[in-house]
Amino acid sequence: MPTLHRNAGVHATTVIERRVLAPGVVSLTLDAPKLASASRPGQYVMAIPPSAQSAATALAVYEAEGKRASLLFFLTGRRTRELSELRTGDPLDVVGPLGNGFDCASDARDVAIVAGGVGIASVLLCAQALAREQRRVRLFYGARTADLIVDAQRFADAGCELVITTDDGTRGDRGYVTDALARAPKPDAIFACGPTPMLRAVARIAVESNIPAQLSLEETFGCGVGGCWGCVVPVARTSSQAPSFPPPESGGSDVIYARICREGPVFWAHELRW
Amino acid sequence: MVNARPRMATRLGKLDLAYPTLMGSGCYGSGEEFAPFADLSKLGAIVLKSVTRRPRLGNPMPRLVHTPGGMLNAIGLQNPGLDWYLEHELHKYAGRPCKLVGSVAGFAVDDYAYVCERLAARDEIDAIELNVSCPNVASEGETFGCSPRLTASVVRAARATTDKTLIVKLSPNVTDICEIAREAEAAGADALAVINTVRGMAINVDSWRPRLANVSGGLSGPAIRPIAVLAVYEVAQTVKIPIVGQGGIETMSDAVEFFLAGATAISIGTANFTDPRIPERIVNELQAYLAARGLGAVDAIVGKANVGFATPHQYEGDEG
Repeated sequence: MPTLHRNAGVHATTVIERRVLAPGVVSLTLDAPKLASASRPGQYVMAIPPSAQSAATALAVYEAEGKRASLLFFLTGRRTRELSELRTGDPLDVVGPLGNGFDCASDARDVAIVAGGVGIASVLLCAQALAREQRRVRLFYGARTADLIVDAQRFADAGCELVITTDDGTRGDRGYVTDALARAPKPDAIFACGPTPMLRAVARIAVESNIPAQLSLEETFGCGVGGCWGCVVPVARTSSQAPSFPPPESGGSDVIYARICREGPVFWAHELRW
Repeated sequence: MVNARPRMATRLGKLDLAYPTLMGSGCYGSGEEFAPFADLSKLGAIVLKSVTRRPRLGNPMPRLVHTPGGMLNAIGLQNPGLDWYLEHELHKYAGRPCKLVGSVAGFAVDDYAYVCERLAARDEIDAIELNVSCPNVASEGETFGCSPRLTASVVRAARATTDKTLIVKLSPNVTDICEIAREAEAAGADALAVINTVRGMAINVDSWRPRLANVSGGLSGPAIRPIAVLAVYEVAQTVKIPIVGQGGIETMSDAVEFFLAGATAISIGTANFTDPRIPERIVNELQAYLAARGLGAVDAIVGKANVGFATPHQYEGDEG
């Protein structure tokens, strides 16, 4: 997977557009040329709260084009609420782009992107990059209810085939998005972002069918840059993403906690030991 | 009238610091993680993540939860163990434009002495911090930092292995922090870091489960600042060795509180998670604060709010 933080920095940006995509779902578009040009699919930023009253918040880079980068997020607490109250013209400092991001360079011809809830924010750049290369890209997109299916048209416009599910059946098929994935013809590669139970189900399908799957993990971050080891997931010691650690015969282990913010957030499904 | 810029340099034992700011252990990695976002040459020192004699996987997730005015963490001292650390990691840290303090944790007096000796022998390491107060690992019997007797044993054993500056990080989770400070000083500590995190807990009201896998964690951030300021104030009345004040420092005025209480230097941890520019901003604003009051050096405010402050606060084994 690509390596890290080469092009990252602290960016003083300005909010140039604020959209409410659904109740509790906001996107902020920033005037941020350096961030936009440096961001790769699946990367994120740490948004510094304007009040400086709490830790920075990790937000996916949803779109990046020209001078504009946008962040899409769900209101989940104090910190995202503060960011959601920003208006056009307000300054917002962000640290990024961070994380390894998706490796979109595979030669798969038939790709499935699986997104659950706010996970949709991490996969638009990935969908656009893959669809540009004339691959078949199916987006399996699940949410609790129809209102929370946001911006599906953007993916259709990018050339994706959409398979939508909702837990309550108010849009698309009723049920989990991973059930729709399991029913569908097998893709050559999977890219996924969403809540952990969804990602575990995607990993099961991928490993059983021997499909290479890249999973972007969601977790509460501390520093967001690899300094605190507060966000980790167990990976095989043989993974290229495993931190340096001794083998079992030297008192170490075959399974090591890797930092989601630093070695990830994107991991190969078959290397996770969760 | 043009004043020279107030002097920021300070000293902890034999450790000369260009700036009176340390980055707290476990909050700043090895510095490399923050290098794209902060000028490491504007830091006094980075206190590295604690290393133990044997490898440690660390605690399961969740390891961290945000709480009002701070956060709880229970990382569990994840580290590859001393041998691996010395062979595969430490050399990568050479050439940092600030001082590096190695942090030692352990489960027996012997562990501390062993790790301290081998770590301090390395040129990359400028000083040693003894982490006798990690709240997040299960140990048999008492936590070292909660017992004056065990603290003294650990410090004496480590002291015998190195002449480099020895900083002892004290726990606030004790009945009388001053008694432990006194023991650490008598056993040969060059400086004290005051305070480590405060034990705490948060519970998920939907799942009815603790929010940390470790159940309890260490609370950091501005929520604990008044606890830390008082601890520094009282410890400064008790010992003559310098104190590194820490606990929720986010701004220049927070830092000044600690200096006025009696800290010779300050340490910044959780604030780096809010904004990696904070340490440099604090130094710049501190210089302006001193200059505006006609003060020539940061030393000039150390202990100035503390009537019982015990001077001189200098390492006595050196003519400098």
